[in-house]
Amino acid sequence: MFQALARDICLYIRLIAMQVKAQLQYKVDLALDVLTSFLVTALEFATLLIYFVPFPTLLGWKVGEVALLGAVVSIGFGLAELFGGGIDNFEVIIRQGDFDRILLRPVTALMQVSTTQFRLRRFGRITQGLSAFGLALFFLRDAHLVWTPLKILVLCLGILSSALIFVSVLLLGATVCFWTVETTELTNILTYGGREMLSYPLTIYHQFMQRLFVFIVPLAFGTYIPVCYVLERALPFALPNWLAFSSPLIALLFALIALAFWRFGVHRYQSTGS
Amino acid sequence: MTMIEAINLSKTFRVAKRRPGLLGGLRSIVDPEVRLVEAVRDLSLTVEPGEMIGLVGPNGAGKSTTIKMLTGILMPSAGKVRVAGFNPLHQRREMASHIGVVFGQRTQLWWDLPLIDSLRLLRHLYRVPEARHTANLKRLRELLELDEFIDTPVRQLSLGQRMRGDLTAALLHDPELLYLDEPTIGLDVVAKARIREFLLRINAERGTTILITTHDMDDVETLCPRLLIIDHGRKLYDGGLTEIRERFGGERVLLAVLDPAEVHALPHDASGQPHLADLPAGVHLAKSDGPRFWLSFGRNTMPAHELVAWLGARYQLKDVTFLEPEIEDVIRRIYEENLLLHELESIPQQA
Repeated sequence: MFQALARDICLYIRLIAMQVKAQLQYKVDLALDVLTSFLVTALEFATLLIYFVPFPTLLGWKVGEVALLGAVVSIGFGLAELFGGGIDNFEVIIRQGDFDRILLRPVTALMQVSTTQFRLRRFGRITQGLSAFGLALFFLRDAHLVWTPLKILVLCLGILSSALIFVSVLLLGATVCFWTVETTELTNILTYGGREMLSYPLTIYHQFMQRLFVFIVPLAFGTYIPVCYVLERALPFALPNWLAFSSPLIALLFALIALAFWRFGVHRYQSTGS
Repeated sequence: MTMIEAINLSKTFRVAKRRPGLLGGLRSIVDPEVRLVEAVRDLSLTVEPGEMIGLVGPNGAGKSTTIKMLTGILMPSAGKVRVAGFNPLHQRREMASHIGVVFGQRTQLWWDLPLIDSLRLLRHLYRVPEARHTANLKRLRELLELDEFIDTPVRQLSLGQRMRGDLTAALLHDPELLYLDEPTIGLDVVAKARIREFLLRINAERGTTILITTHDMDDVETLCPRLLIIDHGRKLYDGGLTEIRERFGGERVLLAVLDPAEVHALPHDASGQPHLADLPAGVHLAKSDGPRFWLSFGRNTMPAHELVAWLGARYQLKDVTFLEPEIEDVIRRIYEENLLLHELESIPQQA
């Protein structure tokens, strides 16, 4: 079984590498793409912080703290866009009837779907996230924030987890295409909407939204909660501090649920033929 | 080992009926009216390795549905199927390495990449050892003459070139079984001939079992010693071409070339066509063109040699040829008149 997994990973890398090679052929185009992506996401980030022009704090959060939150969300979402591009684009595959061909190949269907649409320009958002991180540190320079290895660990785990959760949401959205052909707005609400919302402290939202992003689509575990840990703030719903380190496990669980739903979708496709 | 073994395959689709109008549309969401469509009914099929089979049937007959069940894309509603020893649905990935599929109307090649890139990529997708892949690619490049366009992006290829590319792509991993869905559709005469030659060759050299879905009767006549006719989801016929011709060929045609001087002396009817008097019962003049006369007669009306003798006694025969009914016409008759369907229905159900 692990041999099969290793082979799949090799194949994944190869397919991605091929697209990278193709995109690197047009260096100027790529540079412009990345730059544009960077500028657009930077603008989005700037609008986050505009709130702080007239107001000094947001429910007790200062500009540096919100910047940190926004940066973490950006990096996680950027990674998800980078690796989940093919999944996001699944509606095109279904609509054009190309899924049959995918089923005819001796490779896992999901693997094939996720290796399409790998776009280097998505590094624009990741770069923006990293820059925003730097900006956040600048804003926080007076805050006497103590950086410990644990805090760094929790942030890294959180970013990777939020990337996995975002990709899982994309997968859920793609699976719905088996029934509806087009991606529903529901997926966009959770991905783009989720990204926007989680760039602000979770506590500004109604209890319902807080519960949604902590217990149902646990994006908060990858973004808000690790940042709370770093800033030594209380976690929502009085959850214990160490729970911030559980983000990979929670992301994995959520991913497994999304995977199960995907398998169900493929099964349904094979029984109804469309 | 049998290549394909299908027993009583059936597939029933649930199709939601749309009610007309806005209110109807809304009602359909809450309370959908579903009707059952039997796309394939009790289809049984056995194919041995190395066979070449044509799958023929009118549009909507259930051919694509059958192929989808054989390739693991679709789950049968009933029945059993094994292909190359695998269960297509549950062992989809394992079986995929043993089959090749070419869709006439969709390509499996990467649209924006040069053809050679697609072919190289497939080596990794199918996990073909490098030496074997290189050898196969070289051979197929020669056989299909790919060199002139192998570096061109697929989107710029002509239909014939793309079809050759798709055939190469389907064969690079040495599949034991090849499915072709309308492989010659839209191609010019020369291209069609080349593809057919190629298919015969790989069947002879590699023993590749080939299943071709087609509407082109020339494909069937050139390539398929065995013919499967499917209509209304049922297998109507499974056998050779000659038998079909004999059973449903209806009429044969005798092409007689008479002496031009004699033709000139024949009585002509109102439209200026020469008229052959007193033709035997069941024989009629289908058309004439100068000294050539096409006489159509039922297979059971009179033996061919008797007709020749009859003609020879009255006229000077310069030449005589027998024309078999076009398989196209035969098949059309079968579709239109539901000939085989009637036969099938009159057979009592076996317990």
